[in-house]
Amino acid sequence: MYGYRLGAIGIVTTFFIIIFSTVLMPMVLFNPKASGRGNDYKVIPLAVGDAARGRQIYVREGCFYCHTQFTRIQDRGYGPLVKEGDYVYETPHQLGTARTGPDLTNEGGRFPSQWQKAHLISPRAMKPGSIMPSFSYLSERDMNDLVQYIQTLGNKRTVTAFVTPPDEYLPTTPQGRGLAARKNVDTASDAAANAGRGIYTQNCASCHGLEGLGNGPNAITLEKKPPNLSRDYYKQYPDEHWFYRISEGVTGTRMPRFQSILSEEQRWYLVAYLKTLPKDHEVTINNLDQLNVVEPTHLPVLTKQVYEPHHGKE
Amino acid sequence: MNSLAQTSLLERFLSAREGSASRNFFLSALWWSLWGMGAGMLAGTEFSMPDLIRGVPQLSMPHLRMWHVNAVAIGWLSMGYVGSMFHMVPTLCKTKLYSERLGNFTMWAWNILMIGAFCTLLNGNTEGREYAELGAVLDVIVVIGLVSVAFNIYMTIVQRKVKKLYVSLWYFLGSLFWFPLVYVIGQRTFVALPGLNDAIIGWFYGHNILGMWFTTVGVGMMYFLIPRFTKAPLYSHGLSMLGFWGIALFYAPTGTHHILQSPVPEWLKAIAVISSIFLLVPVLTVLTNFFMTMRGKWGQVATDLPLRFAVTSCMFYLVTCTQGPFQATRWINWYIHFTQWVVGHAHLALLGTFSFILTSSLYYCMPRLTGREWHSQGLIRAHYWLKFLGFMLMMTSLTTAGLVQAAGWALGYPVDQWSLSLHPYWFLRAISGFMIVTGQCLFAYNTFKTLYTPRATADATVKAREVKV
Repeated sequence: MYGYRLGAIGIVTTFFIIIFSTVLMPMVLFNPKASGRGNDYKVIPLAVGDAARGRQIYVREGCFYCHTQFTRIQDRGYGPLVKEGDYVYETPHQLGTARTGPDLTNEGGRFPSQWQKAHLISPRAMKPGSIMPSFSYLSERDMNDLVQYIQTLGNKRTVTAFVTPPDEYLPTTPQGRGLAARKNVDTASDAAANAGRGIYTQNCASCHGLEGLGNGPNAITLEKKPPNLSRDYYKQYPDEHWFYRISEGVTGTRMPRFQSILSEEQRWYLVAYLKTLPKDHEVTINNLDQLNVVEPTHLPVLTKQVYEPHHGKE
Repeated sequence: MNSLAQTSLLERFLSAREGSASRNFFLSALWWSLWGMGAGMLAGTEFSMPDLIRGVPQLSMPHLRMWHVNAVAIGWLSMGYVGSMFHMVPTLCKTKLYSERLGNFTMWAWNILMIGAFCTLLNGNTEGREYAELGAVLDVIVVIGLVSVAFNIYMTIVQRKVKKLYVSLWYFLGSLFWFPLVYVIGQRTFVALPGLNDAIIGWFYGHNILGMWFTTVGVGMMYFLIPRFTKAPLYSHGLSMLGFWGIALFYAPTGTHHILQSPVPEWLKAIAVISSIFLLVPVLTVLTNFFMTMRGKWGQVATDLPLRFAVTSCMFYLVTCTQGPFQATRWINWYIHFTQWVVGHAHLALLGTFSFILTSSLYYCMPRLTGREWHSQGLIRAHYWLKFLGFMLMMTSLTTAGLVQAAGWALGYPVDQWSLSLHPYWFLRAISGFMIVTGQCLFAYNTFKTLYTPRATADATVKAREVKV
C-alpha cells in the first residue's frame, strides 16, 4: 500500500513540476511590452467598419483554420517579420495552425477594400483556383467590419528601408552574422569588381547583356525581361540585397538560384561588379538593334553524311 | 403517481444495472462518431469542391471543422474512453463500478454537452481557440463530467478486490487526475491573456488533450486488450512502469513545438523540442512490451478481428510517434510546418491509433456488457478494411499534399501559383473520408443489429459479466 502512495505522490509531483515549468514560468517570465506595431483594436477609429467587431467575425467564421498570422524568416512576400510585442492585444490569439491560404499578418492595404469584399463573396471570381469557401452569407455589416479588420492587419508594421533582403541575410539573425563573418571580399574595391566582371560575362551576360542593360541575346525570348541595371534605382541596393538576388534568383522569372552554381566568394565578387553598373543617367534600350548579338556559330560539316531526312531528295 | 412508476422512470434514465453506464457511453460515442466523422467528410469534400454548398453558414468548411474536431475528440473518443474505463476498471479490480447511477448521470450530462456543442459550433459560437472552441457553459459541463468520471473510477479502485494495480489502472488513474486539470488550465474561458501567452497555454492544452488523455488512456486500453485477446501474460511489468513514467514526464511540456517559429521564448521551445525527442523512450518501451507480448501469437490477427484492430492501432502508434519527434525538431519543422503533413499526422494519431484501439475495445467490451454475440463478422471485416484502406489513402494524400505545400512555402512562391496542383490530393482525401464514414456506418449498423434483434437462443458463447460481491 505504501508503494502506491509513493506512486500517487510521484504522479502529482511530476504533473505540478511540468505545470510549473511550461505554464507558470512563461506567464511570469514572458511579458512582452507592446511594441507599437500591433493594433489596439479598442482605439481604432470607426471610419468604415468596426475592426474590433470584425475581429470577432474573423474568429466566428474560423478564418484561422486556414490563414496564419505570423511571418517566419523564410516567408518571402509576406512583409516584415513579427516581434513578440506585436501580439499583446491579440486575445484570443489568431496565430493559426495551417496555411491552406496565404498568411494574413501584413494583409492590410495589400488589396483595395472593394476587392477584399468581392473576394469574400466570390473567392474564385477574384482568385481563380482558390479553394476558399464563399462567405456570401455574411450580413452587410459583418462583411464591412471583417474587411475593416483585414485592412488593419499589419498596417503599423511599416517598412523603414525601401529595399531590404530577407532577415537571414542581415546581421540581425544568426544566419546573417555567419554570412558576414565568412565574407572575405571587399565589395567596394576595383580589384573585386574586375574579378566579378569575368564571372558576370560567363553567367549573367547572356540575358542581362554585356553592360547590364538587359539586352543580352536571350532577352528577346524571355517573357519577363531582365532589368536595366544602369538605372539609378539600383544605387540603393545594399550588398546583402544583391547577394540575396544572386543567390535565390527572382521568383516568377527564369533567373536561376545561383547559390547552387556559384560559391559564396564568387557571388561576393559578382556583387562588387554589379555595384558599378547603376549610373546617374540610365542608358535606355529601346531598339532591337541594341540587342547584343551572338556571333554566328559554324557547325562542323559532316563529310560522310548519307542520310539527311530533313532535306529530302537531292 | 405511484412509487412504481417513479422507480421505473429512474431506472430507465439513471439505471443501476451493472454495465449499463459503460454500454450507454459506448453507444453515445458511436452515435456522435457518425456526426463527427460525417462532418469531417463533408469538410474534406469542400476542399475539392469549394462551391458544393454556398450560403449555408452551418455547413461552411470552418464551422464543420470546429464541429468535426470537437465531435470526434469530446464525443467519439472521450465518451468511448469513459465507456471502456467503466468496463475495464471494474474487471481489473474484480468488483462492480462504484455507482452505475452516477455513471449514467455523467452519460446524460455528456450527451447534453454534445447537443450544445452541435448547436453552437455549427453556428460559429466559438471561443476562437483551437481544440478549446466550446463556450463557457459547455466547458463547465465537460469539467463536471470529467470530475464525476474520475470520482467514480477512483472509488471503484478504492473498493478493489485485488491488491496489486495492473498497469492499465496506473494509466487510467494518472489520466483522470491530470486531464481535468489540463482541461481547466487550457480552456482560458474566464481569463484574457495577451496573444503569445494565450498561444503558449493554448498549445500546452492542444497537445496535452492528446498526450495526457488520448494517449495515456489509449495506451492503458492497449495494455488491457492485447494480453486479453492473445491470452498471453504481459511481457514485462517493469518495462510497463518505465513507459508510464516516461509518458508522464515527457509528454506534458511538448506543446510549444506547435509554435516553434513564432516569437515565444527560446527556452520554452528548447524544452518542447527536447522532451518531444525524449518521448521516443516511453513509446518504444511501450511498443516493445506489446510486440513481445504478441510473440508467437501474430497469426491470431488473421482470425481475431478485434485483435487486428488493436495491432493495427499499435503499428500506427509506432508510425505516429516516430513522425512526431522527427517533425518537432527545428529543421524539419522549418520545412513542413503549416502544411497538410501536420493534418495527416494528427489523423494518424487520433484516427489511426486511438480510434482503432477504441473500436477494438468496443468490439471486445460490447458482448461482455450485453451477453450478445456480434451480429455479423463480415460487417466487422468490412469495417476494418474500409477504415484501414480509407485511412491509408487519407494519410498518403495528406502527406503528399503537405510536401507540395512545404516546397511552395519554403521557396516563397505565392499560393495561387501552386494551389491547383493540390487538387488531386484534396479529391483523394474526400474519397478516403467517404470510405471511413461508410465503415463507421457499417459499425453502427452492426452494433444496432447486435443489440436490438431478438436473441438467438442456444449458441451464445460469451456471457454478460456478473460479479458476485
